[in-house]
Amino acid sequence: MADENPVKINYLGALTAGLWRENPTFRLLIGMCPPLAVTTAVKPALTMGLSVIFVLVCSNLAISLMRNLLKPHLRIIMFTLSIATFVTICDLYLRAFQPVMSEILGAYIPLIIVNCIIIFRAEACASKNNVWFSILDGIGSGTGFTIALCIIAGIREILASGSIFGVAIMPRGFVPWAAMQMPVGAFVTLGLLLGLVASVLTRKKAS
Amino acid sequence: MSNKIKYFVQQSWLLLVTSFLFGLLIAVADAAWSAKIEQNKAEKLRGLMASLISDANSFEIAIKEANVPGDKGQIIKTDIYKALDKQGNCAGFAFVAVGTGFADKIELVVAVDARCEKLFGFNVLSSNETPGFGDKIKSAGFKNQFKGAPAGKLALIKIGDAGKIDKEIVAISGATVTSTGVVNIFNKTVVSVKEQLQNKGLITANGR
Repeated sequence: MADENPVKINYLGALTAGLWRENPTFRLLIGMCPPLAVTTAVKPALTMGLSVIFVLVCSNLAISLMRNLLKPHLRIIMFTLSIATFVTICDLYLRAFQPVMSEILGAYIPLIIVNCIIIFRAEACASKNNVWFSILDGIGSGTGFTIALCIIAGIREILASGSIFGVAIMPRGFVPWAAMQMPVGAFVTLGLLLGLVASVLTRKKAS
Repeated sequence: MSNKIKYFVQQSWLLLVTSFLFGLLIAVADAAWSAKIEQNKAEKLRGLMASLISDANSFEIAIKEANVPGDKGQIIKTDIYKALDKQGNCAGFAFVAVGTGFADKIELVVAVDARCEKLFGFNVLSSNETPGFGDKIKSAGFKNQFKGAPAGKLALIKIGDAGKIDKEIVAISGATVTSTGVVNIFNKTVVSVKEQLQNKGLITANGR
């Protein structure tokens, strides 16, 4: 196990990998449902991102604690059990203290259970590494995911309603672009951003 | 046999223990927050009802779990609320009604006056209609057509004066299906609710 590994563990790397090098949305293209479904405005996107960070950190912590006891054929069921528990707690919390956000996000909060970012981090990181490393990894991946959600949501909210965080910022005479609020807006925005990321990477490689 | 049990426990003890612990964790969270969740729901409904019935001071349940026609021919159970004004007189009735919209079902809070003769209008509890078109049912321009309209059959027209209050409702242009959905909710539920209130003797001439 990593605890006994004499090689120094790269904690900073765990924290920063999710931001760009292994960004779940823009680089790994996993967990693509929330970036399409909850990015009509920044506030719900941010709530979704923070929920995912909470679930990722808690499930990584729980799985890392039990990693030496996991049996290979029972590991997936243990991952799902841990994830479902923390998602349910998160859902209850939002319904109690953020009822408006909970209503806007609707079924997408319970659907975090099947978000593959979380089970991917459990399998690839938490079940093989120590507790601190797993927590940092959860924070890093979750933050990368949240930033990606907020970028997409920011673009869509500005174009669809001329405001950001509900505050109008576009000049008078701006015609709201209703299509950006609909699913087509999500696909177009995400597609263009992925194209941008790909072109940045190609240029980097070439130089 | 005992070997089998031993094997079972060996393989699954971690799953059993964590299931129990996680279940406990959820139970604690639910116990701590469920009261607040129920309160949020009740407050939301109360707020929507109070904004429709201007004289309302408090609400009480007039008919618990009344059968009201709902989505696609189903019968749904909904509580019919009676609004009381400051003197304790009946100020109107309100209930939740469900129908089919363009994208998904539409849930409305509908309010009628104390004699069940005129509508106080509606508020949208939940809908998933197209932004820019169907979601205009939330706009004052469309909603105001229902304020003061007769509590009977309504008709949807495509061209007309939306400012005139009568049984004719002018559809939102580009969202005929959604507009029809809203009018259908009224046509299906209001008469049924009125009958049930009359049967229970809750509507009388002076509205008490």
